[in-house]
Amino acid sequence: MTNILEVKSLTTKVSGYTILNNLDFSIQENELRVVLGPNGAGKTTLIDMITGRYKPKSGKIIFNGEDITGMAPDKIFVRGVSRKFQVPNLYETLSVYDNIMVSLKGRRKVMKSLLGKVTKQDNNRIWEILDFIMLAEKAEDSVDTLGHGQRQWLELGMLVASEPKLLLLDEPTTGMTKDGKEKTAELIEKIALDHTVMLVEHDMDVVRQIAKNVTVLAQGQTLAEGPLSEVVENQEVKAVYLGKGVLDGT
Amino acid sequence: MVQNRQVYKAPMFPLWAVIAAVGIVLAIATYPFYGAAYVTSLLGKFLCFSIFALSIDLIWGFTGILSLGQGVYFGIGAYFTALSLKINYAAVNPTRYGGTIPDFMEWNGLTELPGFMVPLQNLPFAIIAGLFFATLLAFIFGVITFKRHIYGVYCAVITLAESLILQEAIIEYQAYTGGFNGITDYGTHAQINVLWLILVVTIIFFIIGRILTHSRIGTILKSIRDNDTRAEFMGYNVANYRIFVFCVSSFMAATAGAMYAAWNGIISFLDAGPVFSIEGVIWTAVGGRGTIIGPFIGAFLVKGSEYFLSGKLAWTWQLIMGALFIFVVLVMRDGIVGTIGKWWSARKKRISN
Repeated sequence: MTNILEVKSLTTKVSGYTILNNLDFSIQENELRVVLGPNGAGKTTLIDMITGRYKPKSGKIIFNGEDITGMAPDKIFVRGVSRKFQVPNLYETLSVYDNIMVSLKGRRKVMKSLLGKVTKQDNNRIWEILDFIMLAEKAEDSVDTLGHGQRQWLELGMLVASEPKLLLLDEPTTGMTKDGKEKTAELIEKIALDHTVMLVEHDMDVVRQIAKNVTVLAQGQTLAEGPLSEVVENQEVKAVYLGKGVLDGT
Repeated sequence: MVQNRQVYKAPMFPLWAVIAAVGIVLAIATYPFYGAAYVTSLLGKFLCFSIFALSIDLIWGFTGILSLGQGVYFGIGAYFTALSLKINYAAVNPTRYGGTIPDFMEWNGLTELPGFMVPLQNLPFAIIAGLFFATLLAFIFGVITFKRHIYGVYCAVITLAESLILQEAIIEYQAYTGGFNGITDYGTHAQINVLWLILVVTIIFFIIGRILTHSRIGTILKSIRDNDTRAEFMGYNVANYRIFVFCVSSFMAATAGAMYAAWNGIISFLDAGPVFSIEGVIWTAVGGRGTIIGPFIGAFLVKGSEYFLSGKLAWTWQLIMGALFIFVVLVMRDGIVGTIGKWWSARKKRISN
């Protein structure tokens, strides 16, 4: 299988601190990759770099065979990368339905959206997604009436609506109850059936539920990579998490 | 899975609104035949102010760009038209010094029309040039600011500076603009066909505004207003959308200015200045930003009560206006129309449950 994303010797500094240090990283097509790492390891920064929020100091990001280093966020999106933010980023005054509607694939140019209408297919697709994220009953409600978990799901639904080639999910279970986390993990598993997903996650229950391949970042570099069971046994990884007991689940 | 499910979407033009609009339009169009001349002259002015407020609402209420300098575009439209009217008027109505160029040019030592102003002798050209120039300026401004991710407070300050600059320039170059005195006495005041023109343009802009904000692009504009980061990471070139709306809005403001100049028969630097610009923001806020009818109600109500109160309560009316604005900002964030709309939909929900 081919790599859909390749990050080559990526380095970035923020006010003197090295966040990512010569990082090499790649994801294969249709893979579900979980990225772990302690706070400050550079997980969110990596997503910021891939999606064009910040420009790297050096290094290259190749997506689908094309160099996207330093491109504007909307250009990178059009090439097929959608991201979810750690804190749900929604359109607060719009209805749940409209949030999905503006996220549907295509018609991003001003003139196209000026003339574009919501077709029957669009409508059916929106309802499909609303069913998928369990928010069909809330379709007409404004987003600010949603609970925290539902807001996370809505953003996942918006990503699915945009039909990306690669989804970058930044801690989608933050601040959820145990029940909510399980449901979210199920959603992500379903999404991963026909999408390439890179998931940044802290919660080990969630990781255990869905992870197959894991990358551990520490201090801006890849510390370990491979199947979850192997990575957990890695001595260096244990050292990074030492004393936290996260990996043992104790 | 149930197919063909729909969400409720308010109709583009509800029947009751169309009926009410037709009634209001007929009343205004026929008012000059039975009403007071003074009120007629106010009606024309208020309609122009309404369009001006609508133009602010498009960028502020729907797209989230607060401009404190929308008067610039209103002023450009007004000055191009007034200059053309004045040049033509002076050509056939010699000043008391016998000249055939506008009086303010004579006072400032000009003996003939400056070469760059000669094209303004053609009124249709002058009007179109004014609208074009205003839209072009808006486009350039948009490219400079929005493309570089400048918005919010910074954008408000820059636009404010823009209107200050234009106001100072008008005062400074008085040989060409009439300076502090403005442009007066060019023979058009409260002509009834101009009122009808204003009315028709108001209706057109109202419909354009409604279509623009109620269709798919309207939802996109609102999403940019709500969360521009999300929109950007969803593939929307946020700057392009902002530039587009800003140009449409400035075109509307310039058109309002051009008609205002023709209707009012006198314009001055104040019509391009920051005070007028901010007044427009207040009308929009009072009427209800993010609604299409709000700016109209706001402009008529605030400006109307200003004229009414300044006659009755010469000393305290400004206090009352100030208090009204503070009340709206503190208690009715969504303005008159927005508050009523929210109350109405809450009531509907209560009944349906």
